[in-house]
Amino acid sequence: MADKGPHQNYLGMWGWVWGGNYKLERYLYLLHRITGLGLLLFGLFHLTVTTIFRVQGEAIWSSTISFLDNPLFRVGEFLVVAAFSYHALNGLRLIIQELGFALGKPVPPIYPFTDAIRRKRAWTLVTLAAIMVLAVAFFIDFTVRGWG
Amino acid sequence: MKNTYLQISQMITGALVAVLLAIHITVQQWFVVLGLLGIKVADPTTWGSMMERAHQGSWVGIYIALLAFGLFHALNGFRNILLEINLSALAIRILTGFIIAFGVIFLILGTYAPIALFSSYR
Amino acid sequence: MNNDAVKKITFRVQRFDPEKDRKPHFQEFTVPVKRGTTVMEGLLYIKENLDSSLAFRTSCRMGVCGSCGMLINEYPHLACHTQVEEFHSDKLTLKPLPNMAIIKDLVPKLDTLFEHHKSVKPYIIREDKEEMEKPTAGYLQKPQQLDEYLQFTYCIKCGLCIAACPTSASDKAFLGPQALGQAYRYCADSRDEGQDFRYAIVEKDHAVWNCHFAAACSEACPKGVDPALGIQLLRKGVAAKALGIKKTAAPATLATPPALAKPKIDVPEFTVEPK
Ligand code: HEM
Ligand code: HEM
Ligand code: SF4
Ligand code: FES
Repeated sequence: MADKGPHQNYLGMWGWVWGGNYKLERYLYLLHRITGLGLLLFGLFHLTVTTIFRVQGEAIWSSTISFLDNPLFRVGEFLVVAAFSYHALNGLRLIIQELGFALGKPVPPIYPFTDAIRRKRAWTLVTLAAIMVLAVAFFIDFTVRGWG
Repeated sequence: MKNTYLQISQMITGALVAVLLAIHITVQQWFVVLGLLGIKVADPTTWGSMMERAHQGSWVGIYIALLAFGLFHALNGFRNILLEINLSALAIRILTGFIIAFGVIFLILGTYAPIALFSSYR
Repeated sequence: MNNDAVKKITFRVQRFDPEKDRKPHFQEFTVPVKRGTTVMEGLLYIKENLDSSLAFRTSCRMGVCGSCGMLINEYPHLACHTQVEEFHSDKLTLKPLPNMAIIKDLVPKLDTLFEHHKSVKPYIIREDKEEMEKPTAGYLQKPQQLDEYLQFTYCIKCGLCIAACPTSASDKAFLGPQALGQAYRYCADSRDEGQDFRYAIVEKDHAVWNCHFAAACSEACPKGVDPALGIQLLRKGVAAKALGIKKTAAPATLATPPALAKPKIDVPEFTVEPK
């Protein structure tokens, strides 16, 4: 039986990831969401480690730390600090711009059309550059200390 | 105006967590870079170094603030995402209950640990 | 390209007939195009010469009515406003706008857009009901006050922004960039006194706070409306109001009717009784 009536055409959660050939900002949004969820996941794991395994004395703390000191967790830790760099700096940009600051005023729509976020792209690019610098600095730090 | 207050809180806790986490991660993760800059710190993950911080009131304060603001920010952010996937009002209610319970448990656990370590000093 | 040179282009069109199909499928048509041929002209060619059962919406064919929004090569466009040449490709994939239902083929169901649009009270609200029902004069507005909202008045309710929005993709109840942009358009109008009503509406779940500034709406909008800017400015007002720091200017005053000037011809009385 064919279902009569309109066919639902919502992209659903996949639409967060990809909806068409859009520009940079739509993917920054996605990355903000992913890093937020990643940090949440890490935070819960991290809180377990730094509470339950921290209050039971030196032996348990030291064995936990040495257990975590392997390449797998080191790479994970790097991803955490990289995600933090992104989520924090992009988050600060969002706080400012989502409250309507640093976006300029509305302009009359005259060809070629522009939009506020892209007229003020410089802010986004400066933020991204700062994130890159931080991520590279962390990478050097991790490399100097060794990956596990 | 519940949603507006929640969202303003999301932004304020975000900004506070940015500062607190920057301190936390600089100390925990950046001691090589700090060393290159001439600031010598011991490996922060050793028991001795950790206990040194645990016995300073300011660190206890930083951790508990980070914990409280971080939990609110992360769990409210998670709930915001749940609000955008067509869940029924009932499902949202139930999930919100779970999220709050979850947050309270971690808040208690995370407040207990630094206070217990702090008071074990004397 | 020579003005008259004709090129064959493949139109890969998504078809869906609610009477027969369970799922949409694709059908290919070969369409001759010249320099300047719009995608809409290609579709009309198919309907006239190849398959009269193809359904799509069009009315003005000049980017004014907002009927013909569709995905062309995975990007929302007005078909009448988009030339085939723009894509530098021998193949165009046409799909109906996502994030709403499909009625048939390329015809999206825009009902939710209109409902959401209506829900934000898209008209001037004044406390003086008498004057609203039986206007005696216009309101005074400075050009600078007009600039505050003029950009947002160009919305043609085509729904391209909704197709672009990631929140609209997953949240069916989300008011969407179109309605939220229009909520700002009326709140920013110095003649309006309905700000509190609209703030109460956009402050609910699935509304102004569910925008995460992906700004794809502003990118897609064919009229340069920049709904994302409107939403962020709306948020500024909603947040300031909640914090008790919102400055609200007195609403525009009535222009005194010109007493000295007499109309050159007799203006007829209303012939239709207002309800
Ligand atoms: C470091 C400083 C941080 C800042 C400045 C910050 C800022 C923000 C802002 C402004 C939002 C709202 C985004 C929007 O409206 O689209 C947000 C969302 C979120 N944040 Fe953070 N945040 C920070 C740290 C964290 C941490 C540590 C976590 C997890 C433990 C986290 C988890 C989340 C989650 C899950 C969301 C929801 C994401 C979404 O709605 O797409 N954030 N953050
Ligand atoms: C990869 C980078 C990180 C490292 C190496 C790290 C390491 C640590 C360590 C060793 C402690 C124990 C306290 C101390 O030594 O003084 C601690 C506590 C803590 N960390 Fe982290 N951390 C990192 C990232 C984070 C992030 C991203 C968050 C937030 C989501 C976070 C939240 C906390 C909190 C709240 C505490 C206090 C727990 C309590 O006692 O209640 N940390 N961290
Ligand atoms: S804001 Fe732009 S894209 Fe959205 S409905 Fe109006 S004209 Fe179309
Ligand atoms: S037919 Fe009117 S906008 Fe395209």
